Amino acid sequence: MKKRILIVDDDPNILDYLEALFKDNGYDAYTARDAKEGLKMAMEHKPDLVTLDIEMPGDWGPRFYRQMIQEKSLKNVPVIVISGLSGNVHAIPKAIASIKKPFDREKLLGIVKDAIG
Amino acid sequence: MAEQILLIDDDLEHSDALKTYLERLQYDVTLAATFDEVFHYLENAAWDIVLGNLLMDEKTAECVMRITGSKHYTQMIAYGSEIRLNQAMDRFGLKVVEYLLLPLNSKALALSLKRAKKINFQMRKNYRYVERLTDLHNAQNQFNQLFDAVPCYITVQDKNLRITAMNSRFEQHFGNHIGGHCYKIYKHRTSQCDKCPVVQTFQDGKTHSTEEIVTSISGKQYNVLTQTAPIKNRKGDITQVMEISTNITQIRQLQDHLTSLGLMLGSMSHGVKGMLTALDGGVYQLETGLNQKDELRVFKAFGQVKMMTDKIKKMVLEILYYAKSRELQYTTMEISAVVASVVNSIKPVALRSNVDFVVSVPDNPGEMEVDPSWMEAALINFLENAVDACAFDREKSEHQVTLAVTSSKNDTICFEITDNGIGMDQETREKMFTLFFTSKGSQGTGLGLFIAHRVICQHGGTVDVTSEQKQGSVFTINLPRKRPTHLTSNGLPPAIP
Repeated sequence: MKKRILIVDDDPNILDYLEALFKDNGYDAYTARDAKEGLKMAMEHKPDLVTLDIEMPGDWGPRFYRQMIQEKSLKNVPVIVISGLSGNVHAIPKAIASIKKPFDREKLLGIVKDAIG
Repeated sequence: MAEQILLIDDDLEHSDALKTYLERLQYDVTLAATFDEVFHYLENAAWDIVLGNLLMDEKTAECVMRITGSKHYTQMIAYGSEIRLNQAMDRFGLKVVEYLLLPLNSKALALSLKRAKKINFQMRKNYRYVERLTDLHNAQNQFNQLFDAVPCYITVQDKNLRITAMNSRFEQHFGNHIGGHCYKIYKHRTSQCDKCPVVQTFQDGKTHSTEEIVTSISGKQYNVLTQTAPIKNRKGDITQVMEISTNITQIRQLQDHLTSLGLMLGSMSHGVKGMLTALDGGVYQLETGLNQKDELRVFKAFGQVKMMTDKIKKMVLEILYYAKSRELQYTTMEISAVVASVVNSIKPVALRSNVDFVVSVPDNPGEMEVDPSWMEAALINFLENAVDACAFDREKSEHQVTLAVTSSKNDTICFEITDNGIGMDQETREKMFTLFFTSKGSQGTGLGLFIAHRVICQHGGTVDVTSEQKQGSVFTINLPRKRPTHLTSNGLPPAIP
């Protein structure tokens, strides 16, 4: 069965890009444009990994994360932070990686592969 | 100190006796019996009184005439036989104070000497007065020159804040308003300013300073650094206060510019990163689409690449605009042509975001004086903003942006842009024209509306905004048909009423 990745970002262009990238590399990908939608999608599809932009209107990236880990079944899902902000390491302390936009796609795919195969 | 007397006489017996007599009268006497001696003494010392047989010989007479004529205080008394005195009177006239007949009457001599001494004293006094007056006059001239040459606006004000003196630079820029109120002339106010430094100086006698924005007679606004100093009378009471204002407009402008350029580098980078990532995404999908011969993907990816390059282009142009604010290039334009060009640019954007775009223009809107490239860019910016507000809204199913052009009173043109998008909260409404403020996260640069607003202001126009969260916003842009004539110092005209 394909591994599932949930992409949370407010920029539709970047959602498109990541969705295509993950699908092309053999993953199932789901997208969400805000926290509410993200939580709904996470509950519905139980992703194996989440990529999260942390600086979005309303600053709900970290809030989304806090709500997600309160859900037992989602608590241990690995998170990769993909953000334009530098120094975002501390925003989500438990993130398995934090990469900056614009990112190197091979590097991102490498991190995903290491995490979920 | 005893008066210095030079006694000229070649009759040594007579002169010795006279010297003894004079010394008894407490004079300090030097004898000169030959021309060489006369010459030497007159050249090398200042004498209060020259007494004697001034026509001792021709050379002596000439020497006495020349030298004493050039020395201010030296008084001359001549004595001699009747014939000699006659000659001396012809020769010296008024230059000699007293002509005494030989043999000398001792009383007459003593009186003459006293008179000479008195005249001498008066002349010295006069000379000192003249010197002081000259000094005073020079000082006043110098003071006036300094007062006028100082590169500051200087006024002297009384307790009612009325101007009692001003320097020429102030007069040039603010007009001659002796007797006028400081706050009226500088700021067109009807009452004194809060925390007036002049008032404070009247109270405590100390120097106070503030930074103010003042308006000159040409309508230009200046940033000035104002400092005050008390002017006291002899008793030490403060009767007036001097106010010195230095024009620091250029420094402030430069500082603003540098600050915001620095700020720009910091805050822009985030938006740029988002755009570059999206461009990466477009290129990736274009590449993989071509490899997989997936025509739909290629088509979509191409659209995205195009959109991102447009966005990046627009942003670079905005940065360039900001980095170098250029003068507007006014042209008389058909309003319908401006609107058509704006509509052409915005239609595809609205279509892509699934927003209905409606335009209404009166039949004959006429002409207006604008810089078409900047005016169009500004209007497009407001419209794109309206489309974005709709695109961000997930609650309504149908979205509409309208552009309504109307010709209103006072020869102004009104562009009203209405959307039913997400609307704005109060903070966004207050800050939306601020440099680098954005409500769009990584997708905004915070430059667009700042520049659009600035362009409208540069054209002498105004932007009014009403907005309700979740309901939508209305931007009302009023523009004069003719270019504004007055510009303030920051390149912006005073806003139209």
